[in-house]
Amino acid sequence: MFTVFTFVLYAVSAVLSVWSIVETIRNRPAGRLLLGVTALLLLLLIAQLIVSIAAFGSSENVDPLLFFGYVLTAILVVGLAGFWAFAELSRWGPGVLAAGGLTVIVMIERMDQIWQ
Amino acid sequence: MNGRSRAKKKDAAIGIRSPYSAMHTGPGRALTAVYAIFALSATARAGYQVIREFDVAPIAYSLSVIAAVIYILATICLVIGNRTSHRIAIASCVIEFVGVIVVGILSFTHPEDFAKPSVWSSFGIGYGFIPLILPLIGLWWLARVDKRVRRG
Repeated sequence: MFTVFTFVLYAVSAVLSVWSIVETIRNRPAGRLLLGVTALLLLLLIAQLIVSIAAFGSSENVDPLLFFGYVLTAILVVGLAGFWAFAELSRWGPGVLAAGGLTVIVMIERMDQIWQ
Repeated sequence: MNGRSRAKKKDAAIGIRSPYSAMHTGPGRALTAVYAIFALSATARAGYQVIREFDVAPIAYSLSVIAAVIYILATICLVIGNRTSHRIAIASCVIEFVGVIVVGILSFTHPEDFAKPSVWSSFGIGYGFIPLILPLIGLWWLARVDKRVRRG
């Protein structure tokens, strides 16, 4: 996709996943900072969506249904997991975020493959 | 009085909130979330495969659709969390596990029908074998919930 931006996406979702696993093990609900990282990842994914719509004309042989299917599903996963973690006041709030974060890492990798 | 009718009486006494709602509390939350993610991603993938390239591997893609439906069913049952949905959730976990095993074997014996990957082919290797492990964790968790409900 866009190398630097993709790297940032990987980094943020990796931080989110690791931190969420740690918080689950420490038996703590999702704090404001952790929810902040989730919101950041959500914003970055929305930025990715906007940028890829703008740059779509310059890409070659990218199936829009496949690519934007992944981007939109990732946005949905992060949004729903974040909302859930906000409402959930047990260690399983971060547990849900960890599951979402790990999924998004895989999805970013797929997006990157599809774009190339 | 057997365990079943005792549990039923308890359901009625508690009213709206079934003791089976423990299905989606505690660790069940993480399980429900993972099921929801699988439901979402399997549906998205199956939808794409059917729209764009159904002719390439009709058997594999039909199975993708079935897998997606099963994941959605399991997620909904975990969320509802009553006696009936507990039963249906057990059934869908069993179907999932059988599906992963059968499709896994078929994808080795009949590779021509599984030229394109689906959630369950090669025992779910494309999804880090989670499709193989998930129904087992699901069954273990559902059995634990059931045991707790019966014990009261």
